[in-house]
Parts: sequence; C-alpha cells; structure tokens
Amino acid sequence: MPVVKVLTAGIGEANLRDLDVYRERGGYEQFRRAVTEMKPAELVDLVSRSGLRGRGGAGFPTGRKWSFLPNNGRPRYMVCNCDEAEPGTFKDHMLLEETPHQVLEGILIGTYAIGSDHAFIYIRGEFQHGYRIFMEALAQARAAGLVGENLFGTGYSVEVTVHRGAGAYICGEETALLNSLEGRRGEPRLKPPFPAVKGLYGEPTVVNNVETLATLPHILRNGAEWFAAVGPQRSPGYKIVSISGHVKAPGNYEVPLGTTLRELLAIAGGPREGRNIVAMQPGGGSSACLFDEHLDLGYDFDTMAANGTMLGSGAIVYFDDTTDFVEAARALVRFYAHESCGQCTPCREGGHWLEVTLDRICNGGGLDSDIDMLVAVSHQMTGLNLCPLGDSIEPFLASVVKRFEPQFRSKIRRTQREAVPV
Amino acid sequence: MTVDGTPARDFAAVAARVEPVAQDLISQYPPAGARSALLPILHEFQNVEGWLSPEALAQAALWVDVPLSVVESTASFYTLFHRRPVGRYMLQPCRNLSCTLNGAGEILAHFRERLGIGHLQTTADGLFSYEEAECLAACDRAPCMQVNLEFVYDLTKEKVDALLQAMRDGTFEVAPLPQTATPGASWQVAADSGKRSPGAVGVSNPNDPGGLGDASGVAMIERLAHDPYPIEARPTNERLVRDGTARLAAPSSNHTSEH
Repeated sequence: MPVVKVLTAGIGEANLRDLDVYRERGGYEQFRRAVTEMKPAELVDLVSRSGLRGRGGAGFPTGRKWSFLPNNGRPRYMVCNCDEAEPGTFKDHMLLEETPHQVLEGILIGTYAIGSDHAFIYIRGEFQHGYRIFMEALAQARAAGLVGENLFGTGYSVEVTVHRGAGAYICGEETALLNSLEGRRGEPRLKPPFPAVKGLYGEPTVVNNVETLATLPHILRNGAEWFAAVGPQRSPGYKIVSISGHVKAPGNYEVPLGTTLRELLAIAGGPREGRNIVAMQPGGGSSACLFDEHLDLGYDFDTMAANGTMLGSGAIVYFDDTTDFVEAARALVRFYAHESCGQCTPCREGGHWLEVTLDRICNGGGLDSDIDMLVAVSHQMTGLNLCPLGDSIEPFLASVVKRFEPQFRSKIRRTQREAVPV
Repeated sequence: MTVDGTPARDFAAVAARVEPVAQDLISQYPPAGARSALLPILHEFQNVEGWLSPEALAQAALWVDVPLSVVESTASFYTLFHRRPVGRYMLQPCRNLSCTLNGAGEILAHFRERLGIGHLQTTADGLFSYEEAECLAACDRAPCMQVNLEFVYDLTKEKVDALLQAMRDGTFEVAPLPQTATPGASWQVAADSGKRSPGAVGVSNPNDPGGLGDASGVAMIERLAHDPYPIEARPTNERLVRDGTARLAAPSSNHTSEH
C-alpha cells in the first residue's frame, strides 16, 4: 500500500496542536531557515522546481502563481484559503484541527516567499472548532516570537490575520473569497485582473490552499528534487486524498500522485461486503464521474484531465451497485442551486430549474423528456458564468445520466405509479 | 421580561460589550480595510445575542463606516447569519452527497418527525431550529451534523434521539445559544418584502422564479410590451447621479475625446 506520512505525520500519535511538540519534531525550523538564510526569489525558484501544483482544485503550479506578482512596490498579501466546502473534501478540515502549526508555518513561508508582510487565513464559518484551535496556535507562535516584528533578528516582520467566513460555498472561489475578506457579499469578480495583479484591497495578492501551503515546509526540508521525483513528472508529489461514499474505511489518506483508483479503493478498506463499485467521482462535487473500467487509472492531475474529469480538491466518492444515481444527482444539483451567488443568470436560473426537474422526477411528476432536458440545461449553463460554479453541475449530471439512463427512466415510471393522485 | 424569564434585552449593554472586540478586530486589518472587520463583528454580535438584531446591524454599520443597507445586503448573503431569533440549538444535519450515500435521508426524515418541523423552521418552544445543511467537510464520518456549529459525527436514529433528549434535559455537551428575543416559526426573512418596483405593481410575487405557469414573469412582459412610456426615454440612476438632474442629457458631440 503506498500510503505515506508527510503532511499527515504524527496525526493521531502526538498532540501537534502544542507548539513544543511541533517544534520537537522540527517545526518552524524551515521557516527560520527561509527567513535567515534564503532570499524570497530563491524560495519561489525552489517551489517552481518542485513542480508543486495547487491543492485547492485548479491545480495551478504554485511557483508560477507566485511569479506573476508585479514588482510595483505596492503592498502584497498572502491569503490562505481554508474555506473548504467542496462536496466530499475534508482534508483542510483535518489539517486545520490536527496540525494548525504546520498550516501556520506554511503560511509564514509562503508570505515571506512572495515578499509580503501580511497574511490572512480565511476559515470557513462552520469550522468553529478549527478556528479556536488555530487562534490558540497563532497565540502560541506569537508568544514564541515566530509571528510579529523583527523575526530572528533579521528585521523581517509579519502579521497574520484570521478571518472567519459565514456560510457560503462560493467564497472558496478566490475572488469571491477576497470580496468576503473585504467585508462584502461573497460574489466572484470578473477576471482579469487576476488577484496577482489586483487582489485584496486592489493590491497584488496570492490565494493558496491550506494543503498547498502546508506542503511548503516539507519541500524546504527535503528539497525540490525530493518532491519532484514522486509520482508523474508533470503532476508530482504527495497528496492527501479524502475518500468517502461506499467504502469500508472512509478517511484522509496521503499517497503519491499517480496511485491508481483501484489502489485508493483498497486503501479505504474496499467496497462494502458483497458489493461492487460501479462509479466514482474523483475530484469533488464539480467533477465528472468515472466508472469501473477506469479503476486502473493513475490518480493525478493530467490523467484525470485526459479522461474528461479532474483531480480537483482530491476528494474521491465511490459509488457501489446499490446507488440511486437520481438521488445522488439531486443532492449535488440542490447543492449548486443553493450555493449559486445569483450574479450570473445561467447559474442562478439553470441550477434552480435542474433542482425543480429532479424533484419532480423523484416525486412522481417526471416526464421522459426531462432526461434530455437535464443534460441540455446543464450544458447551456456551462461556460457562461463569471466563475466555475455554474459549470460545476454538468460534469457529474451529464456523466451519470449518460451512464445510468435506465435508472432515471425507471425512477420516472416508478414514482409516477406511486404518486398519490391529486 | 421575555417569555423564559430572562431580563428584557438591553442593546446598549450588548453594544458596550462588543465594542472593544470590534475595535480590536478593525485594528487587525490594514487602515484601508476597516470594512473587512464587518463579518467578524457580526459574528461577535451573534455570539452575544444569538442572532443579528436590527440594532446590531446598525451599530456595525457605524463602526465600519458603511451604509446600513450595505450591511444588510452583506449579512443577508451568508447563511450562518440569522437576521431573526433562532432556537437554543441550531441543528444542521448534512444533506449532501456522501451523507446521502450513507443514509442521511433517513436521518433527515427522523429529525423532521421527532421535531415536528421542517427545513428552516423553529419549534414552538423556541428550543430547536432545524436546517438541512450542505457538505460540512466531514464525509469520512457520515452522516454528520453540526449543533451550534460543533460537529456530531456518525449519526444514527438512536443517536439523534439521545442528543435531542440531552438538549431537552440541558445535559448536552454543546452550550445552548443565547436567546435575547423569542424566535418565530422561521428565522428566514420573508422573500417578498411587499415593496414593488414600478414595473412590478400588481404582480403576484416578483421573487417568484417565473417561467411557464407563473403569473409574475408574464405580467411584467405584458407591462413592458404595452407601456406607452418607452424604456429608453427614462433617465437612469447612473445619469441622475452623474449630472445631478432628472433630465436626459443630449449625447455630447466630443464624447470620445473626454476619455
């Protein structure tokens, strides 16, 4: 089994929330080394060479994202995105609660690397427990002289501000997050300008995922080559995969990218007794389904993209042969309809109508023509919105309708028969 | 006195308690970003009062120096902000994919039956508010829920019964929310404010999603089609603001050279 312990090392064994425990294990040593021995440009170069790609969903190369910041003498900001809400994803939740110091060290290294002195962490409103844990960790780090002014006597100062969200999936989108951080409605902004040019308060800003930043201390400790050597060349490194659905041992498992979906299934305990896996959603709620014939694909950014889906946030939901895919589609469509911010008409109206259509299919009012309409409406919503939320329904819905069309047809007939005449 | 015997709320005392926290929050953001403290300040008010009262919104607007309408608009965007009083226990079981695959449907039905209320409603005794929530990022321990934003994992019907009983007995491990006003049947602000834009007067419900069979969309199109006053002849708000008059200015001949 290729399970590894890099970011997840020590979780469940030691109280990593305690600063002393974290430091005994080498914690903050890489931050100290970065600030005292390295120039920011060296760090950007190191991370670029490691091939690290963003762990939040888009998979954009982290080093390149950092290099987009203009040299215009303006203040710069680092924003850590901990608004994890992609259906099926629960890795940042774990990192925040179990290893808050690792997250903080990653934020500090990233902030120094982009030449900033002010970092923000946007924590999902529902993570009240994680928020308290992180605040405690931040207070410990501040008291120990790891956050604040003139760190390690180098003259470098850094401030970290913790910002709580208040219940909005869309705030995981980076420009919506910046609006929310500025005290506005969490509505995505038109891009360009990208945050690297005009982000928080109109200044150059980098938004990085929790796991991306938490990986930085390990890349510093072991070197870019160590990270780049793991897994496929263009999609290297270790990744925490959140596995849930119809498996015996759902959980977060850290593996090298390129591990196959079959191996990941086995790592999560395999299918339930007497059941077979018929489908899996490999990259969170916004990704298209793969099916049993795809189990031997390697789990990495490029292989997933080449097969019409995505690695996304690294969340795999496995479905076995008992699954009612109409209900599964309804749960996800309802989610996207609920979470649409309402700015763009295709997303706001399309999501609503898909939800209404799925509701009537499940409640006895469905028509055979509804099946084509589900595919058509979800397709018409796609590509016409400011942000990817409106594009997120089609992949899953279209892929399961195509594959399990008989289930949708029989559901329409069965619920029609069972419906109470009005 | 409120129904449960606690003293009537004194907003001045609430504001005095929140103010030092609010000023500290504002100081954590760059000087240009005082408005950033809005969400944290609203969280703080909700921690103290259990909901966001109109007075709290108005006070927050003063502190971060934005209009009250903007604060209301912002607060209304976020589902964790309650603009009406809620129950002592906010019950939020997840209804998203991984929980659905692991039996959330039965758990939700069980909650509805045991509480006698549905999605976005509060029990008559003001003890429970119920909302079916979206993915809570705890799919490995599905079905899961939050009670006053604290996680409860691996739900079963028996576990639901036990935790509801513990809340009724006052022995549940998560503290109840403060409650400075008696909650109504729902904390949702009515979608229809009763106010109508000129084009929507006489329309049944302008918030109705519209479409076939819904009168509002049809009525509005009828009105536009038969309106004797052409739309393009109306001064827009933008023009009113720009030139300060209600008259339509003639397009300037040197329009392009201004830019």
